Amino acid sequence: MKLQHYLGGLENLGPVNLETQVFVQPWEQRIFGIHTTMMAESAHLTGALPRYPIDQLPTAFKNDWTWASLRTGAEGMQPFEYFKFRYYEKWLMGISQFFIDQGYIDAEELSSRTEHYRKQPEAALPDLPNAPIREQIVRYLLEGDSGLRPLPAPPRFQSGEVIKVADPEAVDHTRLPGYLRSKPGIIVEVYDGAFAYFVNTGPDGIGEPMPVYRVAFAASDIWGEGKSEANTTIYADLFEAYLQPAA
Amino acid sequence: MSKLFEYEKQREAASAAKVRALEALLIEKGVIGSDSVDTVLGHFETVAGPFNGARIVARAWVDAEYKARLLADTPKAIAELNLAQGMDGAEGEHMLAVANSPQVHNLIICTLCSCYPWPILGLPPYWYKDPVFRARGVREPRAVLREFGVPVSEDVEVAVWDSSAQIRWFVVPERPAGSDHLSEEQLAALVTPESMMGVALVHLPAA
Repeated sequence: MKLQHYLGGLENLGPVNLETQVFVQPWEQRIFGIHTTMMAESAHLTGALPRYPIDQLPTAFKNDWTWASLRTGAEGMQPFEYFKFRYYEKWLMGISQFFIDQGYIDAEELSSRTEHYRKQPEAALPDLPNAPIREQIVRYLLEGDSGLRPLPAPPRFQSGEVIKVADPEAVDHTRLPGYLRSKPGIIVEVYDGAFAYFVNTGPDGIGEPMPVYRVAFAASDIWGEGKSEANTTIYADLFEAYLQPAA
Repeated sequence: MSKLFEYEKQREAASAAKVRALEALLIEKGVIGSDSVDTVLGHFETVAGPFNGARIVARAWVDAEYKARLLADTPKAIAELNLAQGMDGAEGEHMLAVANSPQVHNLIICTLCSCYPWPILGLPPYWYKDPVFRARGVREPRAVLREFGVPVSEDVEVAVWDSSAQIRWFVVPERPAGSDHLSEEQLAALVTPESMMGVALVHLPAA
């Protein structure tokens, strides 16, 4: 059981944070922008819909970088660290380490350059604009990266059917919220088409195009009678690999 | 003492310098351009943002047939409005609307990360990404809603939508009572990102 997969349902965490700002520190905008540029430059987009000609983009970036990359990093953190750092602090740690691990930069130069900007926070960034990258960022943001694909086979389940959520082996990354594992739910919608996921999650089961279902769960079926709030329904969109017949 | 229990003393200054160093190195090495980050940020000031969602909600309030179409086929109904291009772009490829009513109050959450309908709502506010909301929102949504100042009576169903696959959900809040005299544009100005995620109601401005 990996804690980040089971965040939904944790108790004793105190009051919610009511902060409505997106970026609580100005520097957070920069790491968000770096991440989104990486997504727009990701090598996998040559096979996306629409087919982005990333192989012709004048960038030194040659890796895949998707939401799955960032999520896998966050889910792989030691749970204490996960709670210790704020949202964009985790992004900064994960993305910096990625560029070091992949050999784009080395830890020494990042550390010495950080010292430089620590001493001179206003020192300028290099001035090397890149119009093709700028155009690709805009195009990616406008056109996206849908996982919708043709159905490879008819859906196994139908609307109205009662199912039981699977309990696959815990791996590095999943799209199955932990609190739903092994719980009974009812299918209320079979989405049209099939949906691929950015990466193959191995024994967890997603990646290749498969149907996705909207499943309704009574809160009492998840948390137990008397341990849940009344008159509450939880809906989740679940890939077919996460569903089993009820009986 | 273990390193786990240590924070950098000037935590924000350290992160600010590190992210600037990272951006500088990535520019020098040709991974990104010096205009890349600002291009991303500019998109969320001019093209994608809660101003789009507010217009969708206001239209649904003044036109019941539009609201019905929005709930039946969300992307098609959004495309009817004269919004910027890209309303089905990144993180908005598959969006669906759910409507609050006297019978049901909807709450949108992403317990695994921070999935959010970017084109029409922009980027998620801090509260949405905070682990406490993500943990408690599915376990005790009514208690969470009370903390946000939205008590929901027990005879009203609470529907929680956990964004775990392709769909990015948003809420059409209820139109405030006594708003008949307001234009569609004036109504749109009242709609907040929080109301379109279900943690706020829409109120008339204090007279």
